[in-house]
Amino acid sequence: MRTKLILVLCAVFCIAFSSSAYGQSYAITNARIVTVSGPAIEKGTIVVREGLIFAVGANVAVPADAIVFDGTGMTVYPGFIDAVSNLGMPAAPQRPAGPGGGAAAAAAAAAAQQAPTSNSNYPAGLRPEDMAADDLRAGDGQFEAARAAGFTTALVTGRSGIFNGQSAVINLAGDNVSGMIVRSPLAHHISFATIPGGYPGSLMGTFSALRQMFLDAQRQMEIEKLYEANPAGIRRPAADRSLSALYPALNRQMPVVFNAVTEREIVRALDFIREFNLRGIIAGGHEAGSVVDRLKAQNVPVIFSLNLPRRTTSAAADADPETLMTLRMREAVPKAPAALNNAGVKFAFQSGGLQSLTDFFANAAKTTENGLSKEAAIRAMTLGAAEILGVDKQLGSIEVGKIANLAVVKGDVFARDRFVSRVMVDGKVFEFKEQPRPPQGGPRGPGGPGGNPGGGAGGPGGPSVAGTYNITINIPGQPLPATLTITQQGNTVSGTMTSQLGTTAMTGNMSASGFSMSGGIEFGGSSITIVMQGSVAGSQISGNIDSPQGQIPFTGTRNP
Amino acid sequence: MKKITAFLVLNILLLGSLGGSVSAQAAGGSVLIKNATVMTAIRGTLEATDILVQNGKITRIGKNLSAPAGVRTIDATGKFVTPGIIDCHSHTMMDAVNEGSFSVTSMTRIRDVLNPKDIAIYRGLAGGVTAANLLHGSANSIGGQNSSVKFKWGKPVEDFLIPDAPPGIKFAMGENVKRSNFQPQGGVQPRYPRTRMGVVEVMRDAFLRAKDYKQSWDDFRAKKTKVPPRRDLELEPLVEILEGKRLVHAHGYRSDEHLNLLRIADEFGFKVATLQHGLEGYKIAPEIAKHGAGVSIFTDSWSYKLEAYDNTPYNAYIMWKAGVNVSINSDSNERMRRLNLDAAKVMKYGGVPEEEALKMITLNPAIQMGIGKRTGSIEVGKDGDLVIWNMHPFSPYSRVEMTLIEGDVYFDRAGDIARRAELAREREALERLEQNRPAGAGAAAPRPPSQFENGHLDDADHIDGGKR
Repeated sequence: MRTKLILVLCAVFCIAFSSSAYGQSYAITNARIVTVSGPAIEKGTIVVREGLIFAVGANVAVPADAIVFDGTGMTVYPGFIDAVSNLGMPAAPQRPAGPGGGAAAAAAAAAAQQAPTSNSNYPAGLRPEDMAADDLRAGDGQFEAARAAGFTTALVTGRSGIFNGQSAVINLAGDNVSGMIVRSPLAHHISFATIPGGYPGSLMGTFSALRQMFLDAQRQMEIEKLYEANPAGIRRPAADRSLSALYPALNRQMPVVFNAVTEREIVRALDFIREFNLRGIIAGGHEAGSVVDRLKAQNVPVIFSLNLPRRTTSAAADADPETLMTLRMREAVPKAPAALNNAGVKFAFQSGGLQSLTDFFANAAKTTENGLSKEAAIRAMTLGAAEILGVDKQLGSIEVGKIANLAVVKGDVFARDRFVSRVMVDGKVFEFKEQPRPPQGGPRGPGGPGGNPGGGAGGPGGPSVAGTYNITINIPGQPLPATLTITQQGNTVSGTMTSQLGTTAMTGNMSASGFSMSGGIEFGGSSITIVMQGSVAGSQISGNIDSPQGQIPFTGTRNP
Repeated sequence: MKKITAFLVLNILLLGSLGGSVSAQAAGGSVLIKNATVMTAIRGTLEATDILVQNGKITRIGKNLSAPAGVRTIDATGKFVTPGIIDCHSHTMMDAVNEGSFSVTSMTRIRDVLNPKDIAIYRGLAGGVTAANLLHGSANSIGGQNSSVKFKWGKPVEDFLIPDAPPGIKFAMGENVKRSNFQPQGGVQPRYPRTRMGVVEVMRDAFLRAKDYKQSWDDFRAKKTKVPPRRDLELEPLVEILEGKRLVHAHGYRSDEHLNLLRIADEFGFKVATLQHGLEGYKIAPEIAKHGAGVSIFTDSWSYKLEAYDNTPYNAYIMWKAGVNVSINSDSNERMRRLNLDAAKVMKYGGVPEEEALKMITLNPAIQMGIGKRTGSIEVGKDGDLVIWNMHPFSPYSRVEMTLIEGDVYFDRAGDIARRAELAREREALERLEQNRPAGAGAAAPRPPSQFENGHLDDADHIDGGKR
C-alpha cells in the first residue's frame, strides 16, 4: 500500500518535473500526418520521446506515460524550415543610405572600417571568418512569431557585408544559443554588396575583391603545404584567418550561398561558382526560371525567396508607366519554382525578408497556383530544404529517429484560414490560441480581444496612436520628410507613409512599447520590406524604421 | 513571303524579349540583301548591289545574286546599306561604371557587370549600332578592363562578347581623375592624386610595380625562386599592356595630357590604342600620328567643363588630314542612336570625304578596338553586321529599317511597329494582375525615369557605380 503511494507520487512528480524538459513523451493521435518522406497517413499517431520521433503510423500504440493531444481535424507536418533567414541575428548596423549618404555617415563608415575589431586584414564586410553563431542572440521569445507560423528551423546568417557570415542551422527554441544550434558553420554566404566608403565601392569591385581573395586563399593553402613539407628556404606563410576561412569552400567541403535574385545576378553567381569550382547555392532566385538549364548543368540548388515581387507604391497620374520588363518579371517569378521542379533543380523556400511569416504560406500557395504541386511546395519548406542544407538525416520529415520538429495545423497549410495550433521543437511543445477572425473582406472588427499570439506582451494600455503626423526620416545627410497616417482599431494599427519615394501601406499591431507596422516599398526595381516601430508621447512621435539597409530613426509631430 | 518574313521577325523579337534560354549556338544567320545602294566603307559606294551573308559571314557582294535554298531574301530596292555602326566609347549595358575607391583599379572587369537586358541595347540597334567598346568610367588614372561586345539583344550575356577582340583597359587623365569637380564627403580624405602631376606619377608607379611583378614571375619560371608569386589581379593587366597584349583607351581632353601619356607609353614601351575624347587632338595631330594612336571623339560637343573648352568641330578633319585614325563615339545611350548624323557633320566641317566620314563610325572604331579584321566594312569574309537605311544615312531624315549582326536580324522597324498592338494588349493583361496593381490609393510625386537620372557630360558622373 505504502509502496504503491510512493510509486504514484513519484509518477506525478516525475511527470511534473520532466514536462518542461525534453524527457516527456507525447502522442498526437487521430491526425492526418504528412510525413513528406513517404505517403501521407490519413489518420495516425505520432509518438515523441526524448525530443525525437519515436513512432509514427496508422496503428501505433500510445505509451502510458505520454501526454496525448487529440489531432482530430489537424494535419501534422514536419516543422517548417526557413532556408535563409536572419532570425536570432542582431539588427543591421546603421549604414549610409545609398550614394552620397552624407558626411557624417561616410565618416562613421570610414571609422568603422579602421576600428581594430578583428585581426583580419580585410575590412568589415569582407571577413569570411565571421560566424553567424557568434552573433546569435540568446532568448526564446524572439522566435515566438516564427513558431506561431509553424516554423521550427531556420538557416541563419548575418544581414550585412559581402560575406554575410558563415551560417548556422538552428532550431527555433531554447534560451541559450548552444541549445538552438543544429549545425554550425554550414555555409558561406555572399552578397554582391559594396563596402561603404571603401574598396570595393562598386559592383565591379565586389567581383574583383572576391576573385582576389579566393585566389589568395588558394595560394596560401598551397604555400602552407609546401612549408609543411619542408620549410627551409620558404618564407613563413601568413596566418591570415580570413583566407583560411575560405579553404573549406575551395575544397568543396562547405557550400557557398550566393544571394542572387535577378537573372543577371544568378548568371554572375554561376560564373563565379564555375570559376572557382565551388559548391554553390543560389539564394533569392526570383528569376531562376530563365536559367534552369545552367542551374541544372552546374548542379546548383536554389533557395527561392517567397518575398514575391509586387507593386507596392502607386505613382502619380503623370508618372511614366512601369516597363513591360518589370510587369513581366512580376508575373514570371511565382512560376519559377515550378520551372525548377520540372527541370529537376533542387530547391527550397526561404522567407527572404518577409515581415509576416504568414505571407510565406500565402505566397507558397501562389507558386502552387503557378504550376507547382502542393506536395512539391511542402517539400520545399521541409525535406527539400533539409537536403540542401545537409541536415536531412535529422530534420525535414516525420520519420522515426528524427528530431521531433512538428507543426500541427488546423485544416490545410495553404488555406486562407490556416491556423497553427501547436508546434514541437526538439520535442518541446508550444501551443497557440486561435484568434477570432474578422469577417472575410470586411474591415477589421473593432477592438477584438487583446493578447498577442502566444501570450507575449500585454495589451495596448496607452492612448491611441491614431492621427496624421509630419515626420522626418533621419537618413544620414539627407533627411527625408514624410507624412504618416495611422489608424488604430483595438490592437490593430494600419498606416500609410507618403514621401518622395512613394506611398507605403503598412499594417501591424500595438504592444506595450508602442506600435509596430510593416509594409513594402519599391526600391530600385524590387520590393523591400520595412518595419516601422515607434511610440507616441503627447503630440510627439518617434521610433525607428528597419530595412535591409539598416535602421533609420524618425521623429515627428501630430497634425492638430 | 512577306507574311512569313514578318512571322520570322516577330519570332526573333519575341524570343529576344523573353531572352535567356535562347542561345546563339549556330555560327550565324544567312540572308540575301537585294538591290541596295551599298556603302562599303572601304571600296566606295556600289549601286544596285546584292550582299549574301552565309552562316554569319559576308560571302558575296555583287549584282543579280540568287539566294541559296532556305536563305531569306530582303528586298532593299531604294535603300542604303552600311556596315553596322561601332561605338568606341560606351557604358551601355553596364551595372557599374566607376570603381572610385582607388586611382588604379585595373583589377576590375566590365565583364562582371554586364546587363544583357538593358533596353538601351535595343534602342542602339534601332540607331544602327551593332558593336561597342564598353569602358570603365574616367574617375581613375587606370580604370577597369573593357568588354568589346556586339549588341546581340535577347541572347545570353556570353554571346555578346566578341571572342577574338583583344582585351583593353581604361586610362584617364585630368579633372575627373584628380577629382576636381567632386568634393569628398566630410571626414573622408581626398583621394590621391589631386593634380595632373600626381596622375602621371600614379601611372608611372603602377607600371614600375608591374615590371617588378613580371620579374617575379620570370624568376619563378626560371626556377630562381621556390614559391610561386601571388597572382595580382591589379598588376596582371598592366603586364599585358607592357607585353602589347592589352589595348589602352585613355580618356583625356587637353593636348599636354595626351602628350604626357604618350611619353609614359614611350618610356615603358607600349602603344596607346585610343585617346578618348581628345578635344585638343587637333593641336598635336602629327605627334599622335607618329605614335600611332587612334583618337575617338565627339564631333561637336564641348565647353561642359574647364578642361573641355578648347575644341573645334574641325578636330576630326585636322586629325584625319594628319593621318590619325579618327572615330566618333557617343559615350551615351542617347547619342549612340544617331552617330550617323555625327559622322555627317565632319563632311560639313572641313570636308572629310563621305567614305572617310562613314569610316569614323564603322571601320575606324573597329580598327581601334582591334576587331577591324572581322567587322567595320562590307567586304567578303567579314561578319554580316549590316544596317539597312531608308535613305542616305547622312540625311537628318534617314532612319534605320533593319539592323543585322552576323546575318541575324536584331532590329526590324516594320516588325517592331507590327508588334505594338500586341504588346499593348500584353501590358493591359499584365497590369490587371494583383502583383502589378498599386497597393493603395494616394499618389506620390513621380520619380524621374531611370534613363534621365544621369544627364552626364562624360562618364565620371557615375561615381557610385550604381547605374541601373
